[in-house]
Amino acid sequence: MEKKTFQLFHSDVEPLTQWQNLGEADFAPATEQEKVSMVEEHKSVSYWKDAWRRFRANRVSMVSLFVFILLLLFAFVGPSFIAYSYEEQYREAAKLFPFEKTEAQEAAEALLAEGADGVLVTNLLPGSQTYLKKGNYYITARNGKTIAFNLPKSKEKIILVLESEKTPALWYVDQKAYLSGTYEKTEIETTDAPAENAAELKLTTSFFPHIFGTDSAGRDLLARCMYGTRVSLIIGIVAALIVLVIGSIYGAISGLAGGAVDFVMMRIVELIYSVPDVLIVLLLQVVLKEPLQKWFDASQGGIVKAMSDLGVGVVSIFITFALLYWVGMARIVRGQVLMLKKQEYVTAARALGVPGGRIVKRHLIPNCVGQLVITTCLQIPSAIFLESFLSFLGMGVSAPMASLGSLCSDALDVLQNYPYRMLCPAIILTILVLSLNLVGDGIRDALDPRLKK
Amino acid sequence: MTLYVLKRIVAAFFTLVLIATITFFLMNAIPGSPFMTDKSTPEQIAKANAKYGLDQPLPVQWWRYMTNYLRGDMGVSLKMQEGTEVTKILFGQGKFELSIRVGLWALLLAIVLGIPLGCIAAYNRGKAVDSVLRVLTTFGVAVPSFVFATLLLLIFAVHLKWLPVLSNSLETPASYVMPVLSLALYPSCYIAKLTRTSMLDAINQDYIRTARAKGLKTRRIIFKHALRNSLIPVITYLGPLAASIVTGGFVVETTFSIPGLGKYFISSILNRDYPVIMGTTVVLAALIVIMNLVVDIAYKIVDPRITLTAKED
Amino acid sequence: MSEFQAEKKVLLEVKDLKVSFFTHAGEVKAVDGISYTLRSNEVMGIVGESGSGKSVEAYSIMGLLQSPGKIVGGSVHFDGEDLLAYTPDQMTEFRGNRASMIFQNPMTCMNPVYTVGDQLIEALRSHRKDISREEARKRAKEMLEQVGVNNPERRLDQYPHEFSGGMRQRAMIAMALICNPELLIADEPTTALDVTIQEQILELMKTLKGRNNMSIIFITHNLGVVAEICDRVSVMYAGHIVEQGSVNDIFYQPKHPYTKGLLASMPRMDMVEHERLIPIDGTPVDLLDPPKGCSFGPRCRYCMKVCLNNPPPAVAVGEDNHVCACWLQVKEMLRQKEGEQLE
Repeated sequence: MEKKTFQLFHSDVEPLTQWQNLGEADFAPATEQEKVSMVEEHKSVSYWKDAWRRFRANRVSMVSLFVFILLLLFAFVGPSFIAYSYEEQYREAAKLFPFEKTEAQEAAEALLAEGADGVLVTNLLPGSQTYLKKGNYYITARNGKTIAFNLPKSKEKIILVLESEKTPALWYVDQKAYLSGTYEKTEIETTDAPAENAAELKLTTSFFPHIFGTDSAGRDLLARCMYGTRVSLIIGIVAALIVLVIGSIYGAISGLAGGAVDFVMMRIVELIYSVPDVLIVLLLQVVLKEPLQKWFDASQGGIVKAMSDLGVGVVSIFITFALLYWVGMARIVRGQVLMLKKQEYVTAARALGVPGGRIVKRHLIPNCVGQLVITTCLQIPSAIFLESFLSFLGMGVSAPMASLGSLCSDALDVLQNYPYRMLCPAIILTILVLSLNLVGDGIRDALDPRLKK
Repeated sequence: MTLYVLKRIVAAFFTLVLIATITFFLMNAIPGSPFMTDKSTPEQIAKANAKYGLDQPLPVQWWRYMTNYLRGDMGVSLKMQEGTEVTKILFGQGKFELSIRVGLWALLLAIVLGIPLGCIAAYNRGKAVDSVLRVLTTFGVAVPSFVFATLLLLIFAVHLKWLPVLSNSLETPASYVMPVLSLALYPSCYIAKLTRTSMLDAINQDYIRTARAKGLKTRRIIFKHALRNSLIPVITYLGPLAASIVTGGFVVETTFSIPGLGKYFISSILNRDYPVIMGTTVVLAALIVIMNLVVDIAYKIVDPRITLTAKED
Repeated sequence: MSEFQAEKKVLLEVKDLKVSFFTHAGEVKAVDGISYTLRSNEVMGIVGESGSGKSVEAYSIMGLLQSPGKIVGGSVHFDGEDLLAYTPDQMTEFRGNRASMIFQNPMTCMNPVYTVGDQLIEALRSHRKDISREEARKRAKEMLEQVGVNNPERRLDQYPHEFSGGMRQRAMIAMALICNPELLIADEPTTALDVTIQEQILELMKTLKGRNNMSIIFITHNLGVVAEICDRVSVMYAGHIVEQGSVNDIFYQPKHPYTKGLLASMPRMDMVEHERLIPIDGTPVDLLDPPKGCSFGPRCRYCMKVCLNNPPPAVAVGEDNHVCACWLQVKEMLRQKEGEQLE
C-alpha cells in the first residue's frame, strides 16, 4: 500500500474504507523474530578503523602523509641511489652550482666518450688528496683481466685512462694539457700479475651529477640534504618519544596518586613551565658539549656508540627535551587521568575491587591513547623546529654531521652568491614541518571527532 | 584583586630568582674560564679569578650575585668589554632598546594582523577566503623564522635591492621592515589560527544560540558575542608569544646583523662572560615573566568568571 | 471547552514539516512529516525521548536550524504568514520579537562575559530601535521584577555566573519576553533545574502566559511537567507525532502503545502501593536507518504483521481532536464497523 502522509487535526483524518481489504492475518501479532528483523543491525566499527576512515576522507591529511612518506624515502633510501656520501669532500668540486661540472670532470667525460674503459681523475678523488701516490696498483678491467702496474713517482692532476682493447692499454695525460688540446699520452707499462703490496684502483666509468651542487668543502649537497633530513627526522621522533615517556609517566603518577603528591608534582611542572626554555636550552647546549664528548670518548659500547655517531649536539638536544619539554605532555596526561578517574566505569571498576594496575591497563590507557598519539605527533615538528633553530645559531649539529638547520646555517654567509645552498635545505625543512603538522592535525581530527568543527 | 596581583608579583619574583639560580649554576658548569686564552698562564688566570671573586666557593658567588641584583648592580663584564658595567652594556649601549623596538613592533603586527585574519576566516568558514587564509597561516607556522628571514633578505635586499641587507642599528624605517616581518610571521599566523578555532568554538556555544534566538544580526553575534569569548585563548597565548619573540629575536638579530640583546647573549655564552650571561638571561626572563603577569591580569578584564584567587587548570 | 477553543485565533500552523540532517553516513530524517495547530494563549506540550526530533522541530520554526540540518518539506505559518518564505533578515526581525525561545541549560545559555542587564537591553533594543538606553534599562528592570528576581537594579549589573541556575532561567525568561512575543518556545526549560526550582519556574510561566496573552510550545520528556502546564500534548517518537490530544485525553485515555508505555514508566499519585513502574523495552530507533513500517514496532508489545512494512495512518479517536497513529486503532475501528454491519 502507498505511504500515507501523516496529518492531524484540520486535515481530514484518513477514511476508514481504504483499509477494508486488510484481513485478519494482517492483524495477527508479529513474532519476536520479525520484530527484531525490522531493525537492521549496524556493524559496530572499531575505534581505529573508524579513525582511519575519517583520516582517509581528509584529503589534506592524505596528501601530507604521502609527502611525508616521500620525505622518509628521501632521507633513508635516497642515499643509496646517489654516488656521494654526506661527508666525502671533493676539493676540486667545491662550490658547484646544481648540475655544474668541474673542468676535470669534463675532460674525463670527453675521454670516456672516445671509448675508454674507465678513467681515474686524481683531482676528483675524495678528500684533500689530489694526486696518485707512487706504488704498486692493479685494476680489474671490464673483461675480467687484471692489469697491474707500478707508479714510480707520485702524479698530480693527471687523468689515468684504461683502454683495454687498444695499445697502449694504460696511459695518462696531464689534465690541463688535455683540456688545451695539446696532450701527449704517457704510456704505463703493465703486467698481468699484481705485486704483493699492490692496491686496487677503481676506475670511474661515469660521473654522477651533483644535483643540488656542492658546498664550500666540496661535499655533495643532495647527499647532505638527505642526511640532514634523516638527522632532523631522528631528532624529531626520538625527542617526541622522550617527551612521551617522561611526560606520560610523570603525569599518570601525579594524576593517579592525587593529594599532596599531585600538588608537589604539579608545582614542579609549573616552575619548569615558567622558565623561559630557550634561554636555558642555549646554555645547556654549551654546558653539555664537553662532558658529553668526554663520556663518548671514554666508553665505546653499544648505545653510547650509537649516540656518539649522532654527535654531541644531537644528544644534548635530547637531554634538553628530557629536562624541559615533557611538562606539556605531563599536564595533558594528568588531565586525562583525572577526567577518567571521575568517569562512572572507572568508579564501577574500583567498586568491584579491580586492582589499580588493571584499571590503568584496561581503562586509562585505551582512553588516553588518542590524546597521547596526537600530542606526540605534534611534538615531532616542534622538536625539528627547535633543533633547526639551535643549529642555525651554531649550537646544534656541527659539520661533518648535517641537519637541515645546520645546512641553512652554513649557507647563511654565502647567501648572496649561492642562494640555492640555503634554499634546498630550507624548502625541505619547510615541507617536512608542514607535512608533519598537517598529518598531526589530520590524526587529531580523526581520533577525536569532537574536536573537529 | 590587589591581593592577587601582589601574589602574582611575588611568584614572578621567585621565578626570576629560580631562573637566575639555574643560569648561575649552568654557566659555571660550562668548561673553561673566561680568562683562558692561548697565551695566558695559570698564574694570570688565578690572578684574574681572584680579582673578580671567581676563586670563591660557588654558593658565596651565588649569594653575592643575588644581593647585588637586588640593588640593581649586575656586576662588570669580564671579557667582552672588560671592566664595563653590565647594566651599561645592556641598557646604555642601546642593545636592550634595539631588541625591544623590533620586538614590540612584531608583537603589535602579530596582534593587529592575526586577530582580524582569524575573524575573517571564521566569519567566512568554508568559503574560498577561509581556505586561502588556512593555507597561508599553515605555511606561516611551518616556515622556520630564519628561513623566512633569509628569503626576505634574498628577495628584497639582494635581488630587488629595495631594502638594506644589514639592518644594523635600525636607523631608517626601511631597516625595520624585514626584521619585524620575519619576527611577526609565526605569531601572527598562530594567532590567526587560534582566533579562528576559538571563534568557531564560541559560535557553537549555547549563548550564541541564545543570541540568535534573540534575533540579533549575524555581524553583531560574531563581533560582540563570539569575539570577546574567543579572545580568551588568544590572550593566554600572549605569554608564550613574548617568549617566542625573544627566541625569534636571536635568529633575526643574527640574520640581519642587529646588535641587540639576543645576538649579544649568544656571544656572551660563547665567551663565557659570566656577568653578561647572567644579566642578559635575567633581563630577557624578566620580560617574559612580566608578560605572563600582564596576561594573567588581562584575563580578568576579558573574562569576568575568573576570580583570580585560585588559578588552576 | 473544545468549542470555545476553536473560536480562538490560530497562531501557528505546522503542516507536514520534514527536517533532515545530511551527514556523511546518510540522511537522518529527524522530523518526518509532523503537523499541528497552536491557538493563541494555548500551551502545547511536545513530549518524547531524546532524539525524537522535538527540539529540531522547534529550531526549524525559529529558523535556528544549522547545517547540516535542512527543512526538506512542509510549511510553517505564523499568524497567516509563511515563515519558511521569510528572508534571513525578516527571520532575524521575527526572532526574539514575535517569537522567543528559552533553552535547557541556563548555565551556558547566557554569554559569560557580558552583564545580565546588557544582554536584556540588547534583546530589547535590537527590535525596538527607538527606545533609549535608559528606558530599555527601566524595562529590563521591570522584566526581572516580573520574573521574580529580587533586587533587580543590582542584578542588572551582575554577570551570569553570579546568578544561580534558577535565577538564570528566570533571567532567560525575562530576556525572551522583553519584546512581548506572541509565542514562546521553551525547550526543556526545567530539565536542568532542581525539582523545587522546576516547580517555581512552571508557576512563573503559567502566570506570565496569562498576563502576556501568549502561546507556549513546551518541549519536555517529563510527562509530569506536561500535566501541570499544557492544554494539548503531542507525543513524538522518531520524528513522528504518534499521538496528539488534550491533556486529559493523553493522560486518561492514551491510545498509542508508546504513550501508554510512557505513562506506565512514570510514577503517579493514584498509584497503588507496591505497584511497579514499567520501563519501555528496547532502545530508541536509529534514525539513519529507520524501520520500514511503524518506527515504534520493534519495541511495541502489540506489534502486528501489518506494522512490519506499513507506516501507521493517523486516525481520529474519541473527541476533541484526539488523534493517534497506530494500526491497533485501525484494527479496532474495522472491528467496530464490522459489528455495526452485522447488526
